[in-house]
Amino acid sequence: MMKVEHLKFTYAKKTVDECRVLNDISFSVQEGEFIGLIGSSGSGKTTLIKHLNGLLKADSGTVYFQGQNIYDKKYILSKLRKEVGLVFQYPEQQLFGKTVLADVCFGPLNLGMTKEEAEKSAKECLELVGIGEAYYYTSPFDLSGGQKRCVAIAGILAMQPKILVMDEPAAGLDPETKYMVFELVEKIRKTRNIAIVLVSHHMEDVARYANKVLVLHKGELVLSGTTEEVFTKTDFLRQIGMDVPQITSVTEKLIQAGVPMTAPATSVKEAEDMIMKVLRERGGMK
Amino acid sequence: MIRDITIGQYYGQDSSIHSLDSRTKLMGVSVYIAALFLVKNSWWYLLLFAVILALYHIAKIPYRHLLKGLKGIMILLVFTFVFRLISTPGTPAAQFGIFTITEEGITKAVSLTVRIALMITGASLLSYTSTPRELADGLEKAFGFLEKIHVPIHDMAVIVMIAFRFIPILIEETNVLMDAQASRGVEFEKCSVWKKCRNIFSLLLPLFLSAVRRSSDLAMAMEARGYSGEGKTSRMYPLVYHTSDRIAYILMFLFLAGVIVMRIVNIY
Repeated sequence: MMKVEHLKFTYAKKTVDECRVLNDISFSVQEGEFIGLIGSSGSGKTTLIKHLNGLLKADSGTVYFQGQNIYDKKYILSKLRKEVGLVFQYPEQQLFGKTVLADVCFGPLNLGMTKEEAEKSAKECLELVGIGEAYYYTSPFDLSGGQKRCVAIAGILAMQPKILVMDEPAAGLDPETKYMVFELVEKIRKTRNIAIVLVSHHMEDVARYANKVLVLHKGELVLSGTTEEVFTKTDFLRQIGMDVPQITSVTEKLIQAGVPMTAPATSVKEAEDMIMKVLRERGGMK
Repeated sequence: MIRDITIGQYYGQDSSIHSLDSRTKLMGVSVYIAALFLVKNSWWYLLLFAVILALYHIAKIPYRHLLKGLKGIMILLVFTFVFRLISTPGTPAAQFGIFTITEEGITKAVSLTVRIALMITGASLLSYTSTPRELADGLEKAFGFLEKIHVPIHDMAVIVMIAFRFIPILIEETNVLMDAQASRGVEFEKCSVWKKCRNIFSLLLPLFLSAVRRSSDLAMAMEARGYSGEGKTSRMYPLVYHTSDRIAYILMFLFLAGVIVMRIVNIY
């Protein structure tokens, strides 16, 4: 659906603080995929996702969306922004509408939906994020932090994007709200068959939900593959200052201690299966 | 447009102007502005423009930044120019509908616009070459004598410093908000003026909210670390005049004296 090819980007060109942020990045996003984008602070994750809906223009390289080059002169960027929804860090800070409903309608209206369409879409999305009808006409500033976040996410979802890009959607949320947000994202992915790109520092979340992982390090795409492929390269990840999911490091230690498992696990379920298998084999030997 | 604001941004360089005492620089800006107001003939502006160019050169600040600072007040400059042009009485030079442009109007419009532009350029040089802390310290010490008549100079200096410190933060925040709202389909550049005004609202409201939130957080953090604004605090970086400052003062007063003499004897 979306293809990024040989993307290069430099901030503050031709000044003293020139700094190359992205270097030769290529990857693709397919329908229904859940991609985790990880990397330490300053690795260029946020810069990269700003390219996906055309907020930043690369120095060289191209981005294709549904086969069309978005840097083409004739390409209408506002159309792309409808299709690729970008949820920034702390999205609740961009709320400004008089009522919750008006704020969620803001995006769809800007992108050319009629008032009825926008409201229908907004109500649908508010329903999805668990904001009931009782809140439609309250001010968004009266809500709690978690609710504000949900309203902000609904504001992006209401544009009916094909790709949803989220920058640390769970930062600063309590475990319960965080779980709710992730389950919600997962539900939307399944029901609407859209692609999700999740930027996160939290390896557990990525391992749990993503089926493909991209690792950025100092502006380069150093690793990409399925969640298992990436997270089992534990040494490499640690070397570039990243962590691995807890369960991966636990199973890794078990292997080092001599438990005959094939590879470190990336989910608790998988680890459970592996350990059961080992136990059963031992039982069988008896 | 909004992203081009450069006033209040420090531009770190290793130059003789950067290393001057901030009081000297404050005085320099005052002298420069005073000179701007002493101007009688428009040609003098060329001289003053040459002076500021030379100062930017010495401070090793690219001329591009000089223009960038002006971009932010472009609207003000255009308004000043147009209103002066059409509202000065005198010998008519041209007629556009109900508006009459006079010869005096043209001279006045040019000189007033240039005066404002040069004033901003001079003030920007001050903020390019000194950090907010240096500026606040300089202000506090320069006006310290007013404490004797119970003017709360220390508090004022702290307020000024915080205000300066907030400018880059707010610009940064505006950039984030612009990206966020652009992702929700807001056009900031390619649309009508009316639409632009409405769209700006989607930036202003969240920006005000965050400014209020940030300032109350800051006040809390300062109090948590024992700041009360009372009593004398010692300086981590005491202000001391060096030889270069003395030379700068001499040059400044020579410059000012020159301008005043030229004004009185009416050479030009």
